Amino acid sequence: MYFLGDYTERSMGLSSANIANEGIQFCIFDSRRGQHEGQELDKILFFYPSECPYSSQLSVIGLCEGIITFTRIFSPEAACEVIEAERHSHVFYEAEPDIWMIMVVEKSKYAESVWRSEALRGVLKEIHSLFVMFHGSLKTLIDKQPSGEFARTHLYYFFTDYLTDFTIGKKIQLPSFRECLKERGTVQMLTISRDMAIEIQSLVTVLGSPSGANTIYNSLILFQDLLVSTTLSPDDTANLFAYCVMRLSPHALSSSLSVNSWSYIRKSKSASNVSTVSAVCAALDGSHGTSHDASPGEQPRTVNVPRPLQRDKWSKGGDGFLVTDVWGVEVGTSLPRTPTLWLQQTHERTYLCVYQYKNLTIVLLIPVSSLINGEQGIALVKNQLLENVSQKIVNIEEKLSRGWGGENAYHVSGYRYLLLDGDRNISRASPPAKVTTLSKDSLLALNKLREEVDLEKKRTMLDNPEHEKDFEACIRAKNNAWVIAKISRGRELYMALEKASETLMFASDAVEKFSNRYCEGAFSLD
Amino acid sequence: MFGSSSRDPSSAVLCGSGALSHVYIQHPPLRCNIPETHGLFYDDGNKLLLSPTSDQVLSWKTAQCDQYDPPNSDSISEGPVLSIRYSLDKKVICIQRSNQEIQFKNKETGKSFSWRCKSGSESILGFFWTDCPSCDIIFIKTSGIESLLYDAELNTLRLVEAKRFNVSWYVYTHESRMVLLASGMQCTTFYGFQFSSGGIIRLPKFEMTMVRTEANQKPVLAVEDVHIATIYGRIYCLQHDRAGMILNLYRFYRDAVVHQGTLPTYSNRIAVSVVDNVLLVHQVDSKVVIIYDLFLDSLAPVSAPLPLLLRGASVNGKQAAQVGDNIAMSYGAMIYADKWSFLVPDLICDLDHGLLWKIYLDLEAIAASSSDIPYLLEFLQRRKSDTSKSKLLCLAIMRSIILERRPVSIISSAIDVLVAAYSHVVKAGSALHGGDRRASETFPDSSTQQTENPGSLFVDSVGGTKNNKNFVKQESSSRAESKSQQPACTNVKNEHFNDAAVSAAPGVPAGSVSSSDADTDLESRNHSTQHPEMSLSGDSSAKETRTLMQPGRGAETPVVKGEESSIHAEAFENRISSIESGISSNQGAQLSTAAISPDEMYNFVFAIVEDEMGGDPAYLVAIIVEFLRSVFKEKMKVHPKLYVMTIQLLVRSNRYAEVGLLVINKVLEPSKEVALQLLDSGRQNLQLRKLGMDMLRQLSLHHDYVNLLLQYGYYLEALRYARRNKVITVSPSLFLEAALATNDSQQLAAVVRFFSDFTPGFKSTAEHSRFLGILTEMS
Repeated sequence: MYFLGDYTERSMGLSSANIANEGIQFCIFDSRRGQHEGQELDKILFFYPSECPYSSQLSVIGLCEGIITFTRIFSPEAACEVIEAERHSHVFYEAEPDIWMIMVVEKSKYAESVWRSEALRGVLKEIHSLFVMFHGSLKTLIDKQPSGEFARTHLYYFFTDYLTDFTIGKKIQLPSFRECLKERGTVQMLTISRDMAIEIQSLVTVLGSPSGANTIYNSLILFQDLLVSTTLSPDDTANLFAYCVMRLSPHALSSSLSVNSWSYIRKSKSASNVSTVSAVCAALDGSHGTSHDASPGEQPRTVNVPRPLQRDKWSKGGDGFLVTDVWGVEVGTSLPRTPTLWLQQTHERTYLCVYQYKNLTIVLLIPVSSLINGEQGIALVKNQLLENVSQKIVNIEEKLSRGWGGENAYHVSGYRYLLLDGDRNISRASPPAKVTTLSKDSLLALNKLREEVDLEKKRTMLDNPEHEKDFEACIRAKNNAWVIAKISRGRELYMALEKASETLMFASDAVEKFSNRYCEGAFSLD
Repeated sequence: MFGSSSRDPSSAVLCGSGALSHVYIQHPPLRCNIPETHGLFYDDGNKLLLSPTSDQVLSWKTAQCDQYDPPNSDSISEGPVLSIRYSLDKKVICIQRSNQEIQFKNKETGKSFSWRCKSGSESILGFFWTDCPSCDIIFIKTSGIESLLYDAELNTLRLVEAKRFNVSWYVYTHESRMVLLASGMQCTTFYGFQFSSGGIIRLPKFEMTMVRTEANQKPVLAVEDVHIATIYGRIYCLQHDRAGMILNLYRFYRDAVVHQGTLPTYSNRIAVSVVDNVLLVHQVDSKVVIIYDLFLDSLAPVSAPLPLLLRGASVNGKQAAQVGDNIAMSYGAMIYADKWSFLVPDLICDLDHGLLWKIYLDLEAIAASSSDIPYLLEFLQRRKSDTSKSKLLCLAIMRSIILERRPVSIISSAIDVLVAAYSHVVKAGSALHGGDRRASETFPDSSTQQTENPGSLFVDSVGGTKNNKNFVKQESSSRAESKSQQPACTNVKNEHFNDAAVSAAPGVPAGSVSSSDADTDLESRNHSTQHPEMSLSGDSSAKETRTLMQPGRGAETPVVKGEESSIHAEAFENRISSIESGISSNQGAQLSTAAISPDEMYNFVFAIVEDEMGGDPAYLVAIIVEFLRSVFKEKMKVHPKLYVMTIQLLVRSNRYAEVGLLVINKVLEPSKEVALQLLDSGRQNLQLRKLGMDMLRQLSLHHDYVNLLLQYGYYLEALRYARRNKVITVSPSLFLEAALATNDSQQLAAVVRFFSDFTPGFKSTAEHSRFLGILTEMS
């Protein structure tokens, strides 16, 4: 549900003066908390920027909560999703029942302030699902410690670390219309031959059933920043994949200082980045403490909160396994503790073991419950892995590297495309360098089209969640480019054709060709 | 080792005969003990056992040991018989009467004549008939060797060529066409000739070594200490060094003799047999036999030394043995008697009793005592004599190692062995086919011609290497041969398959033999820089085999058919009980091979073990994955049932992600069976269901696809798809009912309209009027 117009803005008393300089605010609140007058602050689990006065924080939350309550009257299942005002966008995401994440963006602060609200929501979703993967759901954290302090500390560090990826210069850079041929929260896969696939499956089965264990270990295999194999559910795969690309892949390890994994603009220098982060952190630290009966400037009390998204904390050990001390050290030793994470599908807590050989990253998830003797057991599993499969890994890496087509491997000349498989959380798109060749008009048109499709998808979902609707749109943009969207049986194809000829026939032929050639005819059903 | 698989009915075959032995002779023997005969002679050229009486010669065919067949007889004139051999066409009987005289008798004309050597200066050591094109018979004399032509019409001999040197004694086997002439004080200097249908090959002179025991005593090599053995089409010579207690192993190449190593001996007297390309070294004094498989040039024995066993009558082994006649019982004590003569390759003749025994390998016993499974499987796959037994054993071994949950790595290498063996048979089979066709079209007679033909193309391209043309030619032709494996196969024997297998078998250090050969081979050393690995070795011996083995035995080689596997699969759809009958019924028609097709692997291994180990899908999946990997590597196909099973097993442990990847990467080859299984398993998982739908669509199974769309309520999509792909087999009423179920009159109207417009004659059907009626009611 959308709210449009500046009426809302004025009537709710939101003024731009209250918004911090960066033009962006995040907040997470639990609407079940702080029900009584005077305890409203208790609702707030996280607010960014934290130096923002409580009055402003509360007014943002008040507005959002009010809208949510109001819209629930008409739509109890899906309350408000976005408020589009003249100067601000409020993007809503109900991460867990009654726990809301809100992103407020000030349009005037961004030169290219055109985005899809769904893309912004994607950021919120990603933060939340990664958070849950590492720390468990917010609800359990709150239940564990009803004061909420525990959850707040975790959120604070997690959010801060996450935002470093979006910080370019001194600004937080949001996914704009330029990223309309990208989809956050999806996995990019490497296309492999049949022979290669069976070799990899052979590796996966050996990884999955170590001798002596009767549980199956899950694994994820990446080649560079592309997924090769997974045994996890699509959602778990997407989360872990995102984490790998952000922090674990060879690329992330070597350039984690300077590059945003998703950003096209790779100019920022590590130094500026780090300083920004620390500045932000310091600022956050300062005011964070004040909000809860502590004097300003005090460091958060729980310092040993694991910060899985902290940058530059992973490195490659001598045995090929990646190590980090983010999870602290074993009691009484200086050995780093093996990270753990939660699988969404099985609600299982697993150790995270990452082995890297050249471009190949192998993530092995060992159920915590399967190892009685913790770190010792992990060491044993690691040894076994080295013994049994290191040769296989070398062979596979070699063959994949040989067959690897480079960054532009999935470029299809003449097309700028995004292919989405929502069921499996997979996407494939034209390489970023090729997308940048599109003119601004084409990108804006496609962004607009995607926005429309997002709405249409939502409507279908509400009408009949079981039934997927096919959908097709071919639009001639201002600059005579064709922008195309096609949905068929849960798969989505978005395209921009700039050098296409005049006729619609040509455009639809182009889609047809693409579909037959690269999608096994998935989009040429009728 | 196979005990745990006792539930598996076929494991009974693994129990063997109970007695501890790997080699046995089978009762009853061929009896040649007819009174009034003077001795027994073995004519290995014709595989006849000959026994002369005063005026005739009796002959038994040793190939089919049917004891009740009376011997053939031919009359001969009286006189002493030192040796006797039929010509290869059996028209001439040739008898050595004395050291100076050999008598020839033409059976057809009845005429005979005698041939004498110079008395005094030389004496005849022996003779043999040959299928060499330039001569018919070879005489070996103390003064050298003579090749002669026999003229049937004139009934005379004509000397072709004589080579002069001192000969102390000689060894010849028709199987190898190789004669070794011993000379020198110690009889350790050898001249070697091969009289094959391809011509005469003279080997370089070579020395055999003997260990000296005492300072001034030089041992003399005796004729009974030198054995020629033909194994996998390669020719070996085994020289027993009594003092050193070793058996020296030499291998003959076209232009070299290479010492391959030594085998230990435990007896003053040893004998050598070759059964089904397995080398048996009989330690006569200690009454045990040691078996070796020289395929990979490994000199390690296949198993520990065990005695030779005398077995009772075949099929119902034990009972018959108990009932068996007294000779069998009492003969057991006479194993390795003094008067035993070991005939090439696998016969034992008891001269005292006039009995001829054939030696057999007890594959079950060997299997039961071997713990190196991949090696054992390779060994069994190489056996040609009882292929159905080898095959059953291999299948049983596979089942039991899976049921025993051996480590996946071991099972993986076992699978590799079987798959590689099958792939090799298929390739050789199709090559054989091609070769045959070519032979009948263009090269009616000779295989040498044929191999040189593709080779000569190669010669041109390699022509730049300014070397001995002959050699280049030879090299390139043999290379072409090993590469494509097709041109040389016209006259292929089993041995040839095996030899070529050197290059195909997995894990075979192909270069190792060659490099050592290159060292000894002068010719190749000159220009070995270019392709050292190509020089001779396996290739050249394959060539030898080809030329050696051409005549006579060609007819024995049946044809491998590519379709064999599918015939197998269809014939025995299920279960072990049918395996035995199935495999044996198959034998008559085609070349029997122990190779196991992927379909048989599914039917006789995976399908069976799946039932037995339902509780552990992960392990079985791991094994199937290894199997698929192995099969894909050989570019072979797998029955969709195996894919279906894979999906079922993965789904059983909720491994949906892996199923998805396997389908997307086409590891599970698209087929209707697989698609239906995906749809079935997809009842709990939307992704699988979609994959199944996609697969149906990609397979152009339009009818099923449209039906499924309807089933899931996508009737508009189904309509569009049906129109696009011209599917008219789905009844309109199904679409109409689906539209009606939505209770949306607009939708229903659209569907009715669709059929009215696009389906001729629809308007006149009862359906049309019925749904029109419904529509009017609705509106």
